[in-house]
Amino acid sequence: MTGFSSLTVFVQILINGILFGSMYGVAALGLSLIFGSMQIIFIAQGTVMILAAYFSYWMFTLVSLDPFFSLLLSLPVFMGLGWLIYRGLFYKVAAAGKNPSLLLAFGLMVLLQNLMSFAWTPNPRAIKTSYTALGLAVGSLQISFTRLMVFFIGLAATGLVFLFMRKSLWGKAVRAASEDMKAAAILGISPRRVSSLTFAIGIALAGVAGVATATTYPFDPYFGFLFSLKALIAVAFGGLGSVGGALLGGILLGVIESVGSYVISGGWADAISYAAFILVIMLKPEGLFGKALRSA
Amino acid sequence: MANPLLDVVDLDVFYGDAQAIWGVSFCVHKGGMVALVGANGAGKSTLLNAISMFLHASRGRILWNGKPLLRLKPEEVVALGICHVPEGRRLFSRLTVMENLELGAFLPQARGALEESLEHVFALFPVLKQRRRQAAGSLSGGEQQMLAIARALMAKPRLLMLDEPSLGLAPVMVKLMFEIVQALNEQGVTLLLVEQNVYQTLEIASYVYVLKTGRLELEGTGSDLLKNPDFQKAYLGALK
Repeated sequence: MTGFSSLTVFVQILINGILFGSMYGVAALGLSLIFGSMQIIFIAQGTVMILAAYFSYWMFTLVSLDPFFSLLLSLPVFMGLGWLIYRGLFYKVAAAGKNPSLLLAFGLMVLLQNLMSFAWTPNPRAIKTSYTALGLAVGSLQISFTRLMVFFIGLAATGLVFLFMRKSLWGKAVRAASEDMKAAAILGISPRRVSSLTFAIGIALAGVAGVATATTYPFDPYFGFLFSLKALIAVAFGGLGSVGGALLGGILLGVIESVGSYVISGGWADAISYAAFILVIMLKPEGLFGKALRSA
Repeated sequence: MANPLLDVVDLDVFYGDAQAIWGVSFCVHKGGMVALVGANGAGKSTLLNAISMFLHASRGRILWNGKPLLRLKPEEVVALGICHVPEGRRLFSRLTVMENLELGAFLPQARGALEESLEHVFALFPVLKQRRRQAAGSLSGGEQQMLAIARALMAKPRLLMLDEPSLGLAPVMVKLMFEIVQALNEQGVTLLLVEQNVYQTLEIASYVYVLKTGRLELEGTGSDLLKNPDFQKAYLGALK
């Protein structure tokens, strides 16, 4: 019977990895969109996630708003924030080149971390709802309710972005501009408006990922940088410019971490994910799921 | 006589510190087909880029329907009805043929006529209708050039600027491309054509300007230039 029980354990670990990884995937999708159209590595993505986590934490603590409801509220708030960050900070700086943009993103990350730490102390926070500890039993497997919700939210967010990019005129404009901004401009597509929109969506996705994190895990102001790195790894797995690839990349990363920390040891989880990252970059730089980009 | 549709007056254009265009003037009347010819580096594409405001002229004026165009952004120039098909086509290769065409009609004024414009360009280029679900990058060179022109037509241009539509095409496609350009003009599209295929351009253009190292060297109708001995020696030498 040991064979059966270790299989159960393995499936359990796999499920945990998939559920956890979907959060990386959502953050990665935002990063991938922003990088795809503006070539900005928005390293503050994870820290914006934490800001969103605080947002839902305070909504829950101060006005007892359920975190899954505050998700709906966080969407417009973080879209607006993304729009502001682009118009106020990146629009001018992006014209100066990629390095200034990266420095600005890094600076924004440090600033946010310290502001959050100053305002809300560096102590870890967690949202404790009536259903936080709730688990669904499927046979001998245990599935956490909040993690399952996070997974479905990730699927929904990815699906919506996919539909928007494929079906709407502005979504097509975003895809066109990320391939050739100049060619888009001669069709009347304003680079500034397309970039603002892309940034707004990218930051809103960080917001979604952040609120989702807060329902499941404790967090502190400095937690975000690690999420940014993980999101970057997920983007590398998924391949740039692929909406579904970002989610799959995140899930793969979640599975690698969860299996790796079980098979080897918990302390090795990060080392294993970075090693996988380096392997992918070396062997398949276009990503595991992305189509090879034609250099036109 | 009515104002020209486009009137370029005494234009100077710089790339950084290097002057690329020196006091060039030319005009395009409604319904006309004006060609800019000249060797590589003569400044033909630079002029088109200055009109679509990718570069800003440092001196001189560009008049549109008699009104001077101030410093606009490229996306604002299109809204006036000036559509630029740049050198190298610049298609969105990962998007489908249909998506490329839809984005051609991105502006609100063109968006309303989307269905009608699609019918029009599919009548002109039936092959694009067959390939409408394919990625633009999978088309042949000639088909890509057709798509580039079709995408610009979707914007309902009042002036269509074509930068080297025959570049890199097989000889039979070059011939077809010139027939297409001529047919467009006969349908009433005003054209500003930049070409290195001098002989074929002279045959279809209503008026031709010859550029040499950023300056206007000669101008005239195609038949005038064909008779001009200096022009023959410099540009048609190989045909003799």
